[in-house]
Amino acid sequence: MVSEKPRSGKDARGGGGSDIDRFALTEVVPSPRDFIFVDAERCTGCGNCVAICPMDLWRMRGGRAELAEGYRENCMECGSCYIACEAGAVDFTYPPGGTGVSYRYA
Amino acid sequence: MRKFDLVVVGAGPGGSSAALAAAEAGMDVLLLERSRFPGEKNASGFALSTKAWRDFPFIADLDLPSMRYNRFCVAHILSPPPEMEERFSISSGPSRRMGYPEARDFFTVGMLRREFDQWLADKARTAGATLMLESLVTGLRRESGRVAGVVLEGGEEFAAPVVVGADGVLSATARLSGLREKWRPDQVISACAVDFEAPRERMDDVIHEAGFQAYFGPGIGGNYLVAYADGVHLGGPGVTNSLVSRLNRSHVKPARELLDTIAAPPTRRLLRALEARPREWQAHLLPWMDRMPTNIYTGGLMLVGDAAGLPEPLYAEGVWQAMYSGRLAAQVAMECLEEGDLSAASLARYLERLEESPVGKEFVGGAELRRLFEILGDPRLSRELTEMAVDLTVNLFMSAQEPKAECVARALPVLAENLPALMEVARIYLPMILQVEGERLRGHLAVLKGLAAALGGGAVGSGDAEA
Ligand SMILES: Cc1cc2nc3c(=O)[nH]c(=O)nc-3n(C[C@H](O)[C@H](O)[C@H](O)COP(=O)(O)OP(=O)(O)OC[C@H]3O[C@@H](n4cnc5c(N)ncnc54)[C@H](O)[C@@H]3O)c2cc1C
Ligand code: SF4
Ligand code: SF4
Repeated sequence: MVSEKPRSGKDARGGGGSDIDRFALTEVVPSPRDFIFVDAERCTGCGNCVAICPMDLWRMRGGRAELAEGYRENCMECGSCYIACEAGAVDFTYPPGGTGVSYRYA
Repeated sequence: MRKFDLVVVGAGPGGSSAALAAAEAGMDVLLLERSRFPGEKNASGFALSTKAWRDFPFIADLDLPSMRYNRFCVAHILSPPPEMEERFSISSGPSRRMGYPEARDFFTVGMLRREFDQWLADKARTAGATLMLESLVTGLRRESGRVAGVVLEGGEEFAAPVVVGADGVLSATARLSGLREKWRPDQVISACAVDFEAPRERMDDVIHEAGFQAYFGPGIGGNYLVAYADGVHLGGPGVTNSLVSRLNRSHVKPARELLDTIAAPPTRRLLRALEARPREWQAHLLPWMDRMPTNIYTGGLMLVGDAAGLPEPLYAEGVWQAMYSGRLAAQVAMECLEEGDLSAASLARYLERLEESPVGKEFVGGAELRRLFEILGDPRLSRELTEMAVDLTVNLFMSAQEPKAECVARALPVLAENLPALMEVARIYLPMILQVEGERLRGHLAVLKGLAAALGGGAVGSGDAEA
């Protein structure tokens, strides 16, 4: 008789990636100034920034990308949005020394 | 304004190695770091490879609480999403034929960057370098057209005849000096990682020394697990896709793909067995070049490590490369200071020596290897090769389901069908091997030819088999 045990996937105990709360698992000393700058005139609406941001801090609105207002509280300074934007609509510098994301277990 | 012999920007492995070498040679060195402690900004599923033990005698003293030796590598081939169940795995200890003792003993040692980067920066400080934290470099000083020091946010200036830019993948020194505005999207990987903490006894029982595990498969880009004394990192996406090719293909978020791998049944079982709890979420860019960049110096400035784009072209390992290039840049700075010439022409020896060094050698065939990865990442080929491997290994040695001849018979047509792809692999691989190891291998080819003749199989290659 073929086993009735489900082979995979439907594990009842949950867990795994779905319960990883990215926001609860990062520590940020918010920067006192802006360090990502968006030039709406240059934005082509390609969506690269929205797709790449590991913290989901970008949204499309009216065909243009928008960075979340409170991004300084959650941004990981990875610079992915800056590199992924081929239209040159995103500029990026680091926040001031001593502020920004803080990894303790990296 | 304070003056130094050398200013190093960034106290990662590249910067601290440069500062250490320069300070040991008696130079007056300033090491500037934007974070509150070295390692605070460096997300990395960090495993240090044996090359560091081979090339840096002081690494033998390394003894950090988070260290776990990796003596067993595992590659898990998973079935395609959404199932993502274990399908085939390859695992091994280090080859007994490696060229130096440490490489025969272990592959890597997993450790936290917070500990490693501080340890290395402390070494530089003990050797006499001045370390300044919370100091963001936002400008370069110039004298007669050459870089001659740095400017901090807030305006403080430090003068030095030569600067080492060790400020990582989003290097401000590269941008400010005009060496590179920014990487193209296809030159970097956007990586994420989750740190899990796990009781040490669980780690010892379940992981032991299987400290590096990677997850591949059709549509799965190579996420990885690195083990520490009391936890693991699950990171990704792996190196099979660069940022922009991934975006163009599907707009699948790299973060999503990692979370999917963490949610995959085999990973979940492992995490449960480890009683692992997520502790930190991390994200970082990583340069991933298939050829060694050459625009890495100008008058008064040398770029090292990630700032120079030096991570190795296949796995994007970058810490040993940063250390090696950092030390080399310090040596070149010293020589050029003694000669009193810090022009671009004089610093050009940095690039020349780097290209000839083991760091440069790892780039030989980089583009070809990358192509190999793409071929093997093809879902159909990857499925066929997996089935072929199962027939030729597990079915022959471990399964009693069918007569052995059946398994071999089944594997052969698959082999024949995939010959074009396998030839492509060989076509990429062989010239590269010959380029690096030509002389040594020509000897082996002669042996093979002799063997073919002895077996009466006729000539291999040209007609010299009758010899
Ligand atoms: C997820 C992930 C996993 C990885 N896993 C491995 C691995 O297992 N093994 C391995 O060998 N490599 C690994 N790498 C690659 C490795 O992390 C890098 O190649 C390595 O850190 C490069 O060292 P570096 O000194 O050049 O730069 P970094 O380590 O990035 O150090 C740069 C330093 O400069 C500082 N800085 C930046 N800008 C400024 C400024 N303007 N002013 C002052 N300070 C500044 C930063 O805070 C930082 O401390 C991984 C990378 C990632 C992203
Ligand atoms: S730097 Fe990284 S985390 Fe911050 S907004 Fe850009 S992509 Fe998102
Ligand atoms: S990547 Fe640049 S051009 Fe594309 S949507 Fe984002 S900001 Fe606009």
